[in-house]
Amino acid sequence: MAEDFRSRFRVLTDGSDAPLGADHHIFVGPQHPWAEEPAHFIIHVKGERVVEANIRIGFNLRGMEKAMEARTWRQNTMLIPRACGICSAVHQNVYVRLVERLAGIEDQISERARLIRMFSCEAERVHSHMLWYGILAHDTGFDTLFHVTWRDREIIMDIVEDISGNRVNPALMLIGGVKRDLPKERADKARPMINDLIKQVEYHKKVFTEEASIVNRLENVGVLTKEDAKKLTPNGPTARGSGLPYDIRKTFPYELYDDIDWNLVYYTEGDVLATTLVRLDETLESLRMLNQILDRLETASGELLQRVKPRISEGKYMTRAEAPRGEDIHYGIANGTDKPERYKIRAPSLGNIDATLKRMDGEYIADMPVILRSYDPCFSCTNRVMIINQSTGEKKIMGQDEFALKAIKAKKYNRPFF
Amino acid sequence: MSKKKLLVMGGEAIKNQVKGPVTLHISERLEKHPPPEDIRTIPRIIEEKCIMCGTCVKVCPTHCLWMEKDDKDNGMIWLLRPQCMWCGHCQTYCPKDAIHIDREPSLSVSLFSFNVRQDYEMICAKGSFKGEKAEKKLAEVIEEGAKTIKEIEEFRS
Amino acid sequence: MSDALSELENILNITIPKDFVEEVVKVEEGHFDIISPFEKAYALMKILHDDAGIYHLTTISAYEKDDSFNVCYHIQHRIEEEVKEIPINFIITKIDKDNPKTPSMIDFFVAADYYERECYDFYGIYFNDHPFMERLILPEKWPDDVRPMKKEYSWEQIREITLNLAKQISEDD
Ligand code: SF4
Ligand code: SF4
Repeated sequence: MAEDFRSRFRVLTDGSDAPLGADHHIFVGPQHPWAEEPAHFIIHVKGERVVEANIRIGFNLRGMEKAMEARTWRQNTMLIPRACGICSAVHQNVYVRLVERLAGIEDQISERARLIRMFSCEAERVHSHMLWYGILAHDTGFDTLFHVTWRDREIIMDIVEDISGNRVNPALMLIGGVKRDLPKERADKARPMINDLIKQVEYHKKVFTEEASIVNRLENVGVLTKEDAKKLTPNGPTARGSGLPYDIRKTFPYELYDDIDWNLVYYTEGDVLATTLVRLDETLESLRMLNQILDRLETASGELLQRVKPRISEGKYMTRAEAPRGEDIHYGIANGTDKPERYKIRAPSLGNIDATLKRMDGEYIADMPVILRSYDPCFSCTNRVMIINQSTGEKKIMGQDEFALKAIKAKKYNRPFF
Repeated sequence: MSKKKLLVMGGEAIKNQVKGPVTLHISERLEKHPPPEDIRTIPRIIEEKCIMCGTCVKVCPTHCLWMEKDDKDNGMIWLLRPQCMWCGHCQTYCPKDAIHIDREPSLSVSLFSFNVRQDYEMICAKGSFKGEKAEKKLAEVIEEGAKTIKEIEEFRS
Repeated sequence: MSDALSELENILNITIPKDFVEEVVKVEEGHFDIISPFEKAYALMKILHDDAGIYHLTTISAYEKDDSFNVCYHIQHRIEEEVKEIPINFIITKIDKDNPKTPSMIDFFVAADYYERECYDFYGIYFNDHPFMERLILPEKWPDDVRPMKKEYSWEQIREITLNLAKQISEDD
């Protein structure tokens, strides 16, 4: 593998790393109307075809791992959901399970607390996937569907708000249990809303599979074969669209996922349509799971919160969970005090970038937004957001510091950027 | 996939044309779907219940709570509003259940006021710290905060 | 130890030479730690990759232990028929702190590229034979000798360094 190795993160500022055969270089980002988040992509093209795509990451590093070492385990419970803007509950879930294991109370968590945690995680998967395929529809130029999905997404947002008190950051989990209960009135209120949403998502799926103007944009675009997928280690829906049937909820069950009836979704085509269908089907599965969880909550009992001492005994442990975007892994080392010795977070997006860049080889430039969108880019989620490196018409490339300074000045004196 | 059609969403589009907009003005929306009773906002302390133990200050992840006290019955706790992220840790770990972060009547004020005057808030003052002493302290704190903001602004320019 | 080792060998269907591992720990059902000294790490990973067919690398985390560095490769053994994963934490120990060098696993995992460069950024651990050992995350003008995740730098110090950097750049302009 070393012979044909070429770092996809290798971006030299003098342009000497451009591949042979490319005649133009397109710079996308970091501030670009296409991307909500800062990302700097460099796409080398020959005519209309992409020869190779590169990415530059690492700019707005927030230093969360370092910050966690300066805070207590209890305080970190509320810092950890901020790793990602939209999949916050799953980060918190991974964290609390890790700490519970280190504290030795992982068997004492009651069924009720576990079910509420699962409810939060699945509701999050639903709204994250709906957000994603809405934006995908927007990227393909099909804005009607975009507006309809986002209108329907409000249903699940209302449920989350009702249950947790927050719209996107439920922060329901605590070391030793959950913060608040899910009483029966709320469950009864949520049930018809979930059933409504199932109907709506089925309708979205119908549009995604039948409407010619959207299928033509997604079918056979950016194919990632199973062999390539094995090499490039994507995770989550990106991998499941390429025929790798790995979902941590099935392969290494946590909470009560092995106790609940649900199906693993995977497709073997490997194109963007396959990853879309994976997410659509997963949304439906998650919604059905939500109904099951609400049913089980009627009889499930147990204490919501166990008391845990602030000091966590020495040890190290690794936990993983299936975030909406893929595999989320945390590795924590405790040293007997109330602060972590070392805490490592790897959120799914970083593992998926490589495979997505591979998808672009040989595709049309016009398909680029769709392919880049296919792995659900979330750069705050990679814990190491972008720095800036922009090019003007000529081959002038700025360092990030220079760029930041210029941006500040442009804003301050209200003058044009370049 | 199998059969491709055109205008699958035609019916929906026409229906929506007739129905009118889904988006509402914020006041209308709040009227129709009021936020849940226990939506999270900034914490408030019930003075009679608080025993000035300091747990809330210790567990606060953003260090936005401060306290000053002589003993159990004399002390005060104040809060830096913009720094509070309504996480509710103080509520969870308070041994006496003295903290509430549920909806308050003046919800809109608590959500949208971020000017310097209202940055700091005295949320609990007990015993001899009540009244004048607390107010003096708060004024001091506000002045200090204004200084910090000035420094930051100078640094930025 | 030998129990866990033989269980792991059974699952992976390989034999691991005794002197390649320091210890094998069974963390829980189907979750193992392999602890290996860095001289033998490459050969052991070759066995795991070529013979056992492990192809998925989730991430790499580095950490300080006493006066040496440890690097942990989180790899997954996947059994496709059973839809099952066996997580393995492959820990390389005793990496000298003054001159941290360890073999790069890029021959086996493409993904090791950026995870290894991240470790290099944060800890200064140099991965031998990595074809492009350059900065990945930290700013371009960040001082070369400051490796921010090391314990010798506190949170406040790092903040100060960052602010100084910003100040210095604005003065240069
Ligand atoms: S509010 Fe609760 S936690 Fe805070 S000092 Fe009072 S009793 Fe203690
Ligand atoms: S709600 Fe959270 S951030 Fe706000 S004061 Fe309480 S503990 Fe601190």
